[in-house]
Amino acid sequence: MSDNKNKSAEFSFLGGMMNKLDNGNSMKVSLIFLAIVCLILFICDFTYKKYGHYHIEELQGFYGLCGFVIFSFIIFSVKFLKLLINRPENFYSSKAIDHETYPESQIEKVDHDSN
Amino acid sequence: MTLIEVFPPSFYFVLGALILLIFQNKKIRNLILLVTPIVAVWHIFSLPLGELLEVDLFGFQLELMRIDKLSRIFGVIFCLAAFLGNLYAAHLKDTIQQVASLLYSGAAIGAVFAGDLITLFIYWEATAIASVFLIWARGTEGAYYAGMRYLIIQIGSGLLLLCGVLLVFRETGSIEFNKMTLNSIGTLLIFLSFGVKCAFPLLHNWLQDSYPAATVTGTVILSAFTTKLAVYALARGFPGTEILVYIGVIMTLFPIFFAEIENDLRRVLAYSLNNQLGFMVVGIGIGTELSLNGTVSHAFAHILYKALLFMAVGAVLFRTGTCKASELGGIYRTMPRTAIFCLIGAASISAFPLFSGFVTKSLILDATAKEHYTVIWAALIFASAGVLSHSGIKIPYFTFFGQDSGLRPKEAPVHMQIAMGITAILCILIGIMPSILYPWLPYPVEFIPYTTNHVISQLQLLFFALLAFTVIMKLGLHPKDKRSINLDTDWVYRKLIPSVSKHIYVLISPQLNKIINGLVVFKSIIVRNLVKYYGPGGHLSKIWPTGTMVLWVAILLLASLSLSFIT
Repeated sequence: MSDNKNKSAEFSFLGGMMNKLDNGNSMKVSLIFLAIVCLILFICDFTYKKYGHYHIEELQGFYGLCGFVIFSFIIFSVKFLKLLINRPENFYSSKAIDHETYPESQIEKVDHDSN
Repeated sequence: MTLIEVFPPSFYFVLGALILLIFQNKKIRNLILLVTPIVAVWHIFSLPLGELLEVDLFGFQLELMRIDKLSRIFGVIFCLAAFLGNLYAAHLKDTIQQVASLLYSGAAIGAVFAGDLITLFIYWEATAIASVFLIWARGTEGAYYAGMRYLIIQIGSGLLLLCGVLLVFRETGSIEFNKMTLNSIGTLLIFLSFGVKCAFPLLHNWLQDSYPAATVTGTVILSAFTTKLAVYALARGFPGTEILVYIGVIMTLFPIFFAEIENDLRRVLAYSLNNQLGFMVVGIGIGTELSLNGTVSHAFAHILYKALLFMAVGAVLFRTGTCKASELGGIYRTMPRTAIFCLIGAASISAFPLFSGFVTKSLILDATAKEHYTVIWAALIFASAGVLSHSGIKIPYFTFFGQDSGLRPKEAPVHMQIAMGITAILCILIGIMPSILYPWLPYPVEFIPYTTNHVISQLQLLFFALLAFTVIMKLGLHPKDKRSINLDTDWVYRKLIPSVSKHIYVLISPQLNKIINGLVVFKSIIVRNLVKYYGPGGHLSKIWPTGTMVLWVAILLLASLSLSFIT
């Protein structure tokens, strides 16, 4: 990607603002930010009386652990599912939309810098 | 009451569709498309609760206007969805799509106010017929076949409903549409009919097959009505039917995995829709006041945030010509407002505090725990984290952020932005002020969603899941999206059955040809003999025709008498 395409000045105010945030370190910054937020949320669990319908809900960090484990499980399990059910795009031949291009007459493909 | 006071709201849509056919001017057409749902919703609010319009048809008392708290809230959200969908589609000049859109939404509204099963059946089929044009309007071969498959399944659902209604009428002598139990074949068929439209597991794939095949605007409109009509029908007909709890929980779980590996983002949303329907179905199955309130409020919120997500992805399709995850990324730079609307939809469906999903889904989860469905509750927690994976992260991240595709499309047209903006505001409004929604629910609500415990727990679930996503992305372990499709149950009727039929035909065709040849020879013998005896100069043609007839009548009479004597 050429740098010209990512000059914030070429985008709208909002797009430019968002583009400024998206530098090469954005993934690393997000990771640190999320780690801090998660830590704060975990500490919060010690500051109030937890209650729930089940005892397990009263464990500190229970929902956090659930979120992390479930998400990781889903991502890793779908890799195996993909091996089983993934097929080429033309699998159903012409009777499917998957390998078709969307009709040009029904859309307005316009670049952001065109008038 | 005067006729205008009890004028069914669905008739406004039929009237609107007829007027639409007269005018060619785009502005007038758009005015009709936008005013019709506004007038209808105003009319719904002005009507008292009760059974307001009965019509006698072939000895049946049809109840066209049953307004109670359950039907009213569905009627209102359907009108709202029709308004937003039509606003989003304001650039269209396609008469077929515009008329289909009005008739489809009108039919869905008619169905929710139906007080009897025959009226329900008529509107049920009308939704199927009107909506298929939103798929065919795409105008490609693939869309034609997808539309045909959709129509066959939807009409099939209607036929199941009709058979069920006839059996129920034979058993009970009543066609009233009220609570039923699964104690007869009739009610079982009705249940199955609702299940097809509600995309029960194994009956679900019409949804993922057809919605991505519709036009940019058609999918937005489709997403609001058919499945939520089925949710309404189940909530009306089968509340507290325990099997729905188990059906619903399966619905929440399996689409998570399919959505995660799907490349077509509108199909990802179709799987996500299936997953959200599961929460509603669980609520119906539990059948308490709390859970039914949860189902209805979640359907209300869901129509809005799902429409918002379909609108955002549709806007990207409109501007780039694709909605494949493998071809998108980084377009937030030039479509920032659409990206923000998408993020609001994603936050709502993921049930972030201050967004609509948080205040509606928690009603269902709370009801599940209160009724001691421990495993189901755990599965719903799993599904809640799963929703974040495909709708909360995958849709916005791979469409607008992620790896830069190099595409720099123009921001969505203004009318699309306005439609998305209004929908986004509603998602936030319900999230921060659930008290505006709760009074309209079927039962009184005594539920406080914003407690420290609930907010922190939910934030933990979501932020730790987000952390997992970021770690997985950082390590490069997230599955790569590539141009491909995934097999689902439609493989059975799109590949397996045609392939097996072809093999069977090849196997039996020699024998079949022999039989056909034999029949041809047999036919020629018959013809030859008929000509011989009845043709010019034949023995029997010399007899007067009346005499022949009398002869045969006598023979048949003799045979009949002999048979009755023997038996």
